[in-house]
Amino acid sequence: MSMDKIVSGFFFILAMTLNFGFFIGDITVIEQHSAFELFAAIIINIIATILKLGDKTQLGAVLLATSLVADIQLIASATVWAFAEYVLGGLNVESTTAIVSLSGGALLANVVSVILFVGDTIKSKR
Amino acid sequence: MNDQIIWIVLKRLRTPFLVIIVTFSISILGLMLIPGADNSGKVYYMSFFDAFYFVSYTASTIGFGETPYTFTYPQRMWVSASIYITVIGWFYGIGTIISLIQDETLRKAINRNSFRREILGLVEPFYIILGYNSITKSIINRVNKNEFRVVVLDRSEEKIEELILENFYPNVPAFVGEASNQKMLQIAGIHQKNCFGVISLFENDAKNTEIATICRLLNKKVDVIVKASAPQHLEYFKSIGLEHVQNPFEIISKRMYYSITAPHIWLLEMWIYGHALNLRNRDLLPHGKYIICGYGRMGIAIEEGLKKAGIDYIFFDINSEEYKQRKDTTIFGDEEDVTKLLELGIMDSECIIAATKDDLLNLTILNKAKVLNPDIYTIARENSLDGINIFQAAKIDRIYILEQILADTTYNYLAQPLTEIFIQEIRKKDEEWAVVIVNMLHTITGANPDYFELQITQENAYALSLELSKETKVTLSNLRRSREDRNKLLHIVYLLLKRGEEIYLMPESHMEIQLEDQLLIVCDDEGRNDFEYIINNIHELNYVLTSKEKSYNFFQKKD
Repeated sequence: MSMDKIVSGFFFILAMTLNFGFFIGDITVIEQHSAFELFAAIIINIIATILKLGDKTQLGAVLLATSLVADIQLIASATVWAFAEYVLGGLNVESTTAIVSLSGGALLANVVSVILFVGDTIKSKR
Repeated sequence: MNDQIIWIVLKRLRTPFLVIIVTFSISILGLMLIPGADNSGKVYYMSFFDAFYFVSYTASTIGFGETPYTFTYPQRMWVSASIYITVIGWFYGIGTIISLIQDETLRKAINRNSFRREILGLVEPFYIILGYNSITKSIINRVNKNEFRVVVLDRSEEKIEELILENFYPNVPAFVGEASNQKMLQIAGIHQKNCFGVISLFENDAKNTEIATICRLLNKKVDVIVKASAPQHLEYFKSIGLEHVQNPFEIISKRMYYSITAPHIWLLEMWIYGHALNLRNRDLLPHGKYIICGYGRMGIAIEEGLKKAGIDYIFFDINSEEYKQRKDTTIFGDEEDVTKLLELGIMDSECIIAATKDDLLNLTILNKAKVLNPDIYTIARENSLDGINIFQAAKIDRIYILEQILADTTYNYLAQPLTEIFIQEIRKKDEEWAVVIVNMLHTITGANPDYFELQITQENAYALSLELSKETKVTLSNLRRSREDRNKLLHIVYLLLKRGEEIYLMPESHMEIQLEDQLLIVCDDEGRNDFEYIINNIHELNYVLTSKEKSYNFFQKKD
């Protein structure tokens, strides 16, 4: 058991769960999706990405890639939100759907990342 | 290799990124949770965007002021705390990036990468030169201009910097690396198709052996040019199939021999290496008794040459290192030395050769000899090119500069392979033949002719190759006509023709030229220009061959 594994595992899974927490709910109703949860998901996702930096293995590279996908999707989701709110003058159903579905895409990437991580853990003999 | 840089950067930036993200998110979250007031005093909570905007410009110390409304005191308290954490985090991140840029490991990795890319981008044929010194520098200077590109590896960083300051054009990619390091050789492009060879001219035979073996194992097709002087190394090189082994001592031995027995053959050889094409008095070696100072590799080589030529000689066994230790000086010529010279018979000898490893010792030996016997012919061995001026000033009759010989022969091998064949061929001839040839060159091409090599290909001889592919018969003498007046002769002489493996020394003028023939041609100042004009320009060639000046009409169908 190494501290490194605990920390990185914690952040990978937290990134996925927070993402899931934000995603769950009616896709057209913004009140069912907390802005704070999106914020937390973005921060944790970025931290998870940084933790994946510098791993030279093949698996490390794939993990990093999935994490980057999740980051981009979540940041895009937040950007759409800010743009709709301040530039378009308020959220409508269309923008709400975009925000939530973007985070749904990020969730998929996060799930893949966690599956890879768990698979690697199972494979290792220690 | 490319990945390595990214990994170095990413690993180093992990902590600063984490610090920035954590500090930013804490301050953003705080700003959002603390209630503020808008202009009318109503409670206002900052949105994510407001907070992110504010923290971004505060942390990077840009500081646009309090937006969207003036802050309340609780907000200001939080901001003053968050300024400290975010700004410190920001500076820490920036500082790490800057120190990363200056990092030695990273810089090396980047340099190596650009070196590798540069070599991958080479399209011309190139040679890898191991070790940068005065020999290889003079090879680079001559080769780099037209024939080949060059890549240099040297162990010492100073040498590489020296090379970079030299500003060769086209650029010579160079990198710090141990010559016997396989990885460096691979980066230097030994596997590339256009890598023609590796040149290793280190002083140390064992090192050359090691390098040659590694190169052979890495790429069988690559040509390895090495220097070797000891017989066991020479044999080893032959056994691993190296065609070209540079042995400066063997060259000196042969030159001594021909210089004594057949001065005109010697002259032709030296002319190839840049000597003027006439024998001066001081070029003629005496036939009397020789004194050889120093019984090392050079001494043995000279002995071999003299023995073959049937010259009487005597050795003065002087070892430069031992001499230095014993007398604590490299200035030759105290009483003991003078007696020794007299004992050896300096007064009735005709030639003295100073062949020790020490340049200064060689100089002083010859000086002393000249004082004792002013008529004596002096020959010096000069080990490095650096001291060349002193030797010239000392009025020594003949100087053998090992480095120069190595550079010259290597250059000829690379760029003018026919000259080497020419030298081998003329050595089979006798003095009378050489006298005739030298006289002929003088009458046709003037007192100081030049020479060039040419292969009949479409690229080098467009018109001629076109004509030959139509199966027109063109003889050597056909091309020896002036393009101004075809009844006059062009001032060129064909020295050698190489067709496949066959070699024709002084080819007959009625020989027909074929495609892919290689020619070694002597010319005067204008001869080369004219000749190249004729073989490349269809109109000129047509005139020279048929005396008709064809006029072309674009609307007419070509025949």
